[in-house]
Amino acid sequence: MESSYPAAARTLEPVFAFMSSSLAQLETTFYKIPGSHVAARYVKSSHQNDPGRTVVEVLIFVFLIFTILQQRTRAGDDERHFIKYSDEEIDESVDDWTPEPLGAPLDDVETADLAAVPVIVGPIGPKPRLLNSSKPVINMVSYNFTGLAGNELIRDRAIETLRKYGLGSCGPPGFYGTIDVHMELERNLADFLGTESVILYSQSFSTIPSVISAFAKRHDIIVADRGVNFAIQKGLQISRSTIRWFDHNDPRSLEDVLIAVEKERKKRRAPLTRRFIVTEGIFEKDGSMADLPRIIELKNKYKFRLILDESISFGTVGRTGRGLTELYNVPASEVDMLVGSVANGLNSAGGFCAGARAVTEHQRINGTSFVFSAAGPALLAVAASEGINILCNTPSLLSTLRGNIAAVRAILDRVDVLDIPSHPASPIIHLHVRTTPTPTTNGLLDPSSAATISTGKSNPLSVHPREPPTFDIAREERLLQELVDECLAQGVWITRAKRLRGQELVEARPSVRLAVSAALSRKDCERAAQVVRAAAGKVLGRRR
Amino acid sequence: MPSPIALNLSPTRSMFKRRSSSSLAALASAKSYLAAVSEADARARAHGATPTSTPALSLSSSVTTNSEDSVLAEEDDNRDGLALPIVPPTSEQVFNTSHLEFGHSANQRHRYKSQYVPGAALTHDEVDPPYYVLITTYLSYIFLIVLGHVRDFLGKRLNPGKYRHLMPANGYAPLNSDFDSFYTRRLKTRLDDCFSVPVTGVPGRTIITFDRETNDYNLTMKMTGEKTRGLNISSYNYLGFAQARGGCADAVEECLRRYGISTCGGRLEGGTSDLHVMAEALVARFVGQEDALISSMGFATNSTIIPALVNKGCLVISDELNHASIRFGVRLSSASVRMFKHNDMKDLESVLREAISQGQPKTHRPWKKILLIVEGLYSMEGTLVNLPAILELKRKYKFYLFIDEAHSIGALGPNGRGVVDYFGINPRSVDILMGTFTKSFGAAGGYISGNKALIDRLRVAGHGGTYAESITPAVVSQILSSMASIMGVWTPPPVQKGLPSPAEPVQHPGPAPVSMLPPWMDLPLVQRDGSEGRERLRRLAFNSRYLARGLMKLGFITYGHVDSPIVPLLLFNPGKMAVFHRMMRTRRTPIYVVVVSYPATPLVTSRVRFCVSASHTKEDIDTVLRACDEIGDALDLKHLPGERWPIQRIVDSAVELVNMQD
Ligand SMILES: Cc1ncc(COP(=O)(O)O)c(C=O)c1O
Repeated sequence: MESSYPAAARTLEPVFAFMSSSLAQLETTFYKIPGSHVAARYVKSSHQNDPGRTVVEVLIFVFLIFTILQQRTRAGDDERHFIKYSDEEIDESVDDWTPEPLGAPLDDVETADLAAVPVIVGPIGPKPRLLNSSKPVINMVSYNFTGLAGNELIRDRAIETLRKYGLGSCGPPGFYGTIDVHMELERNLADFLGTESVILYSQSFSTIPSVISAFAKRHDIIVADRGVNFAIQKGLQISRSTIRWFDHNDPRSLEDVLIAVEKERKKRRAPLTRRFIVTEGIFEKDGSMADLPRIIELKNKYKFRLILDESISFGTVGRTGRGLTELYNVPASEVDMLVGSVANGLNSAGGFCAGARAVTEHQRINGTSFVFSAAGPALLAVAASEGINILCNTPSLLSTLRGNIAAVRAILDRVDVLDIPSHPASPIIHLHVRTTPTPTTNGLLDPSSAATISTGKSNPLSVHPREPPTFDIAREERLLQELVDECLAQGVWITRAKRLRGQELVEARPSVRLAVSAALSRKDCERAAQVVRAAAGKVLGRRR
Repeated sequence: MPSPIALNLSPTRSMFKRRSSSSLAALASAKSYLAAVSEADARARAHGATPTSTPALSLSSSVTTNSEDSVLAEEDDNRDGLALPIVPPTSEQVFNTSHLEFGHSANQRHRYKSQYVPGAALTHDEVDPPYYVLITTYLSYIFLIVLGHVRDFLGKRLNPGKYRHLMPANGYAPLNSDFDSFYTRRLKTRLDDCFSVPVTGVPGRTIITFDRETNDYNLTMKMTGEKTRGLNISSYNYLGFAQARGGCADAVEECLRRYGISTCGGRLEGGTSDLHVMAEALVARFVGQEDALISSMGFATNSTIIPALVNKGCLVISDELNHASIRFGVRLSSASVRMFKHNDMKDLESVLREAISQGQPKTHRPWKKILLIVEGLYSMEGTLVNLPAILELKRKYKFYLFIDEAHSIGALGPNGRGVVDYFGINPRSVDILMGTFTKSFGAAGGYISGNKALIDRLRVAGHGGTYAESITPAVVSQILSSMASIMGVWTPPPVQKGLPSPAEPVQHPGPAPVSMLPPWMDLPLVQRDGSEGRERLRRLAFNSRYLARGLMKLGFITYGHVDSPIVPLLLFNPGKMAVFHRMMRTRRTPIYVVVVSYPATPLVTSRVRFCVSASHTKEDIDTVLRACDEIGDALDLKHLPGERWPIQRIVDSAVELVNMQD
């Protein structure tokens, strides 16, 4: 090294000479500019007085150049595919262009579907009145699981709140929209679940997309169940993270994918990014239930964070309705982001995310639909708080619900034209048209066998499983609608599970979705199930 | 590592200590108030006239003053000068609102009609501040950024425990990268006492906030247990419908009794009640479209409906300042997006010409459709969309037009029907009018309106109908009652024998047919005849113009249109935001304002955003102007060139200022 130094210096000599001469040149040219002396003096003196100032000024300069350059490069990218047209040519293409209609008119099936949407007249309850039906019907549709709808105490508290707070909050939480009753509900939810903190959103559907996208960014990795609901799908889409899929409700498949993700990272020597498992407690699509203890074991083992959507299970399972964590007796704090629905579980409106304080506080700044939307009405928050109170103090509500679910399942599990993918404890019960020839023994599903038994492995890059089930959507929807109509004629109100066909990542199998309520008497539940059984036999039986 | 230069260690103490109330000029008790009322009576008699009662916001004088709603029943003292009107009414002027929620204003000269004056300029030049302000602003940011990085650098080495949440730990990547959170940690935290202030009560003319204090430079804040009432010039309560008393609240209470809290399901899955059907019909009638669809959250209205309108192969052209919910929806739709400069029609046209002639990227196939999404009134700028020019372009370029009227619906136009009404344009010439109920109507949720076929398509294809909870009955009844009181209610005259019953009026903008309201909704006369709604609209328009003009005459740089109820006042320096906020809220009459800065606005143009309401009285706006005048001097905020008026002259010639046309 040492010996090469003089040589290098010699070769560099002309360069130095050139530099010093051009610097001198620059200086004389500079002083020729009018006012340059003043500037020079200014810089000199300011530097003497305060070297820090020069640093700041240089920084401003660099900052400016940097922003200007950045704008330049951005413009450059688009120009590769640009074709230059004259004004006349542009006018011509403007004249020639005919846009498609903004919304395609509905086809016959859609029109009929929309027309068949039932309208409730008056309040919701176990036996509401529908428009165009003379008698009250047995309600197997509404998400009134613990029967809080129509509770007088809640209603009175809501009215009290109205008289103190008015209705709307008239502002997002950041700008005077954080009302004390919201903070109280957040505290109540956190205490109820046993987590450090909770953040409240004003709509349940908009909660999970915001939660996911607040944490998961580009290059982060999300491992998600193939059967997740639509809201989660939207969250995955908006996050722009790398998604890997595991087979619906199959912890073995989950483990395979987790291992593969880690292997891939090691192979690529990629830096450690945030990694999440996203799944549901009770799946909205089919009512199956996640094996939470196993998932938690896996997430801890492979160092993923868990985002669990309990929109259906919160307020409906567990001894007092705390959800899956209570049912399986795992601390809720083990779930990094526990998302639930105040609308479904507490018969009010909104959604929430529970977790550590760092998790919720992060969302207060980064949760899009939290930051950019008005806080919910005060009286709905109070109604929800009161709902929690009632759940805590009346465990019998949940045991009644469990009893009713069991009563319905006892009858429907034995119907040989129906398949029930839902977990026996699930308050929503999905009914599929059974297509495969079935063993004549009863089709009762063992809880642990809710997982699909897969042969071979699916590709985690694709949302589609290796052997996707096949079904005729149009035909099954038609049959199920007949079933719905038949039941309604018998005074039992049920509904098909509505799906956005063509927008879901994986088409869900058509189903009828029953929602069991603690507000119904055991007898009514049994009667409703009998009616469904008879109608299923009538509508589906004769087609086979 | 606490910052030595953080400004607000326990802000309620130190320099921002609330001034003592002894120097109060306002009326201190109900007793002195009564005396003032009788004085006012005497004055009125001396002028030889019987005191006039306001037609709309007062009941007939048969209502006794000791009714629960009367101002004298107001529970607490008047130390802050907010509980009792500064100009005492005569005893014949009986108001049926609580002055704290909805201010008492009887002076009919304090009214204005919000309407476009043809030829008036829509964009006014944005005035740049003097250079030294710009330079110091940049310097402030650079200083903050450099300091932040230095602190991070040192902190990570000297006090790693505090930075653990930003570093990978036991195999987990940090939830929050230190780069992404830099702005929050190092800049926003300094202002945190100005954000997310917890409140209680009605967000009406006044609002009650909980006092907070911090011992660790805003990292955590504790509520002290004290509450402070202040003038609320921040809530989106444009028409003042945030009320716990009055016709709308009564309607909501009745609805709660009849319907309970929730309808327990999505709209297509059994959560549709007759109230929803009525509300959709009424909203369509209100905005002047064929049909409408309502959803339980304004944000979600955009984020779940836009994907049903456009998809791959479509182009969305979006104003650069469009709301986050619009961006969210567009991103979910997988359509291509082009932005144009805020409200710049030339730029819009060039984007359109380029987009149509170039077609889709790479393939150059023509776009399936082009959707232009703009807002009626921009919530950070107070600017109005240049609708006439856009419709001109629409005829030529055949794009579809989507206007988000979140802030303009109810707040603009002679009939409160939004920007279309303001410009006197047929609403059906716009393809989609979207809006929210959280603002002018004091409710929650949003709507989309357009032609019947389109709305039916959206009912089926929007995400909300299938998967989201429906809007709750109490909220619907607030929407119905507030909307009906803006429109007035049309009741068919008693049917006479032999004559056909008269047809419902269908003209736009017309009254709400009684058939679109639930039969049990018994609105008071002033709401049914539309007089109360009209008063609200006129008061809002007056207050908006008065504040905007007043601030300009004081020499402040403001943005936006004079008729906009959103009035941003430019502060520029980030440091002034916190100080402005604190000085406002610690005045004798505390004033609660919203300060916004980067990233909601461009870096240099930090601002205060006032949201004027119909519930404010002229005297409330005086109070705000006086406060701004003082603070503006203290903080060197008056940089607008041109004629300046002293504050007293502005206050005295408010009516003249408002009626001045430019
Ligand atoms: C333009 C615009 N659109 C939509 C929204 C969202 O409305 P909401 O607060 O009702 O969710 C807002 C609210 O701030 C808005 O300003």
